[in-house]
Amino acid sequence: MNEPHRQPVIKTEHLCRHFGEGETLVKALDDVTLNIERGEFSALIGPSGSGKSTLLNLIGGLDNPTSGSVELAGRRIDQMSGNELSDFRRDHIGFIFQSYNLIPVLTAAENIEYIMLLQGVPHAERRRRVSDILDRVGLAGLGERLPPALSGGQQQRVAVARAMVSEPDIILADEPTANLDSKSGISLLEVMRELNRDQGMTFVFSTHDQKIMERARRLIHLEDGRIVKDEQRV
Amino acid sequence: MLFKLAFRNILRQRRRTILTTISMAGGYLLSAMSFSMIDGSYSNVIRIFTEDETGHLQIHSKDYADKPRIYKTIDTLNVLNETLHAENHIKSFTPRTFAPALAYAEDNHAPVQVIGIDNELETDTSRLREKLASGQWLTAQPDSEGYFDALIGQGAATSLEIGVGDEIVLISQGADGSVANDLFRVKGTVGTRRSQERLNVYLPLQAAQPFLSLGPNQVHEIAIVLDDISLTDNIAAALTETLGRLVPDLTVSTWPEIQKTFYQSMQADKRSNAVTLGIILFIVFVGVLNTVLMSVLERTREFGMMKALGSRSSLVLTMILLETMLLATASIILGILIAIPVILWLTHSGFSLPDPVDLGGVPFSHMKGEFSARVMLLPAAIIYGYALAVSFLPGLRAARILPVEAMQTH
Ligand SMILES: Nc1ncnc2c1ncn2[C@@H]1O[C@H](COP(=O)(O)OP(=O)(O)O)[C@@H](O)[C@H]1O
Ligand SMILES: [Mg+2]
Repeated sequence: MNEPHRQPVIKTEHLCRHFGEGETLVKALDDVTLNIERGEFSALIGPSGSGKSTLLNLIGGLDNPTSGSVELAGRRIDQMSGNELSDFRRDHIGFIFQSYNLIPVLTAAENIEYIMLLQGVPHAERRRRVSDILDRVGLAGLGERLPPALSGGQQQRVAVARAMVSEPDIILADEPTANLDSKSGISLLEVMRELNRDQGMTFVFSTHDQKIMERARRLIHLEDGRIVKDEQRV
Repeated sequence: MLFKLAFRNILRQRRRTILTTISMAGGYLLSAMSFSMIDGSYSNVIRIFTEDETGHLQIHSKDYADKPRIYKTIDTLNVLNETLHAENHIKSFTPRTFAPALAYAEDNHAPVQVIGIDNELETDTSRLREKLASGQWLTAQPDSEGYFDALIGQGAATSLEIGVGDEIVLISQGADGSVANDLFRVKGTVGTRRSQERLNVYLPLQAAQPFLSLGPNQVHEIAIVLDDISLTDNIAAALTETLGRLVPDLTVSTWPEIQKTFYQSMQADKRSNAVTLGIILFIVFVGVLNTVLMSVLERTREFGMMKALGSRSSLVLTMILLETMLLATASIILGILIAIPVILWLTHSGFSLPDPVDLGGVPFSHMKGEFSARVMLLPAAIIYGYALAVSFLPGLRAARILPVEAMQTH
C-alpha cells in the first residue's frame, strides 16, 4: 500500500487550455501533466503570460480545460459543473487572489466565517476557529475591522485565514503578494509557510518575485504554457 | 448572514439607496392615492346610484325584470314582509307597482309611468322624498273630496301645464285587462325637467293597487337597501334560498344585475385607470431597474469572488433579490407613513373638481377617497412584484457569472 502522504492531491494529465482559434489561437496551457502531493509548498513561476493563472484556475475548477483532465483529491473536477462544482470548491479548495479577496461589507472575522457558514458549521465552532486562526496569522484583535480599515498585507492575511479555516485539501494562491510591498509580501509568505509546516496544509502559489520564490520547496517553471523545469529544493 | 450581507450592501451606496427608496415610496404613494380615489369615487357613485332608487337588491316575479307586464306580479307581499323583516342586514325595503299610462289635464295629455309607492317605506329606501320640488309628500288617505294624492315629475308637469292642487286623470290597463281610469290630485312635483323621474307619476300604493286591479298583497317590485353593500351577493343568495322554499317563481336581483350598463361602464373605467397606473409605475421602476443594474454591474468582481469561494448561484441570486426586497420594504413603510395622513384627508375631506367628471353616467364634482386594506395593500403588492421583476434578470446575470471572467474585469 502507498503511504497516504505519497498520494497526489492534484493530478493533471495532458492538460490544455486554448483561447481563440485559427490565427488568434493562444495555447495558454499546452499539455501539462503534473502531480502535487499533500503537504507540498510549491511555486508556479515564469514570465507574465506563461500560463500560471490559467493553470491555477483549471486546478481550482474556475475554468474548463480544452482537453486533458484535472483530478483533485481523487475527483475529476473537469467533469463537474453547477452546484456540485460550487460545493466542491467550498469544501476542498482554498483560494487566495491577488486582490479583491474580501467581501467589503463583512468584517475580517465575518469574511473568515463566510465559508464555514456556507458549510453549515455551528456557531460556537465557527467562533472558536475564527479566533484561533486570527491568532495564527497574526491578526489577533483585528477581527472586527472592515477590509478597508486593514492594510494590504493584513487583508491578504485575512484571505489566507479564510482559505485555511475550512481545512481544504489545498490552497491555491495566484500572485498573493503582487500587490504588497516586499516586506509585507515576505511576511505573508512566512505565515503561509508556517501553516504548511505546522499543519501540513498544501499550498500552490504563483509568483514572479525572486524573493518569494526562494521560499518555495518546489519550483515549477512555466514557459508558453508548458512546464520547462520542475525543481525540488531543500 | 444573507440578511446581514444584503442589508449592508444596500447601505453601501447611501445616496443611491435613498433616491431609490424615495422613488419607490413615491410610486407607492401614487398608487395608494389612485386606488383610494378610484375606489372612493366609485363607492360614492354606487351609493348615490343604489340609494337613489334602485336599492341593493330587488325582488320581482320570475321574468318581470326582463319583460315587465302589469300581470306579472308578486302576489304574497304579506309573506315577503315577514321574511324581509326577519332577515338581518336589511336596513329597509319598499314595495312598488309600475304601469304605463296616459295622463290628461285640462287640454293636454302626456304618456307617463305610474308608480305606486308606500308613502312611508319609500322614504326610508330611496331619495324620492328629497327630490320634492314643490308641494307636499303623498298621504295614504284620499282627501275630503275622495281623491287620492299624486306626485308628478317636472317633465309631466310642464307638458301638462299643471301644478300643485290641480287634477290629473290617468288612463291605463288593469292587471285583469280591464281599462283603468281615475282622477287624482297633484300633491307635489318631484325632480327637475331633466331628472330620470321627469315623466313619472307617483301614487300611494293604497290607490295604485285598486287602480290597476291589483289586490293588497300584489306588487311588481320590492326594493331593498342593506346596511352594508358588500353583503349584496350573500344576502341575495340567502334570500333566493329562503324565498325559493316559501314562494316560488320570484327572482332576487343584485344592483349590478339591475344596472348592468352602469356597472359595466364602471368596471371598464376601473380597468383603464388600473392600466394608466401600471404605466406610471412602470416608469418609476425603469429607474429602479437602472439602479439595480448599476449596483450589480459594479460588483461583478465581488460576485465572481463569492462564487469562486463556493457560493452557489442561487445564493447570489437570493442575495440580490433580498437587497431589492429590503429596499422595497423600506419604501413601502415610508410610503405608508406618508400615505396614511394623505388618504385619511382624501377620505374625510376630498376635493372639489372645477369641472364635473362623468363616472358611469353620474356627474361628479366632489371627489372623496376611500381608506381600506385594499387601498393600502394592493400598491404594496404591486411594488413588491415590480421590485422582484426588475431585480430578477440582473440577479440572474450576476448569479451565472463565471468566476474567472468576473475576476478579470477591471
Ligand atoms: N480569457 C482569455 N482570453 C484569451 N486569452 C487569454 C485569456 N486568459 C489568458 N489568456 C492568454 O493565455 C496566456 C496565459 O495567460 P495567464 O495564465 O494569465 O498567464 P500568467 O498568469 O502566467 O501571466 C496569455 O497569453 C494570455 O494572454
Ligand atoms: Mg497571472
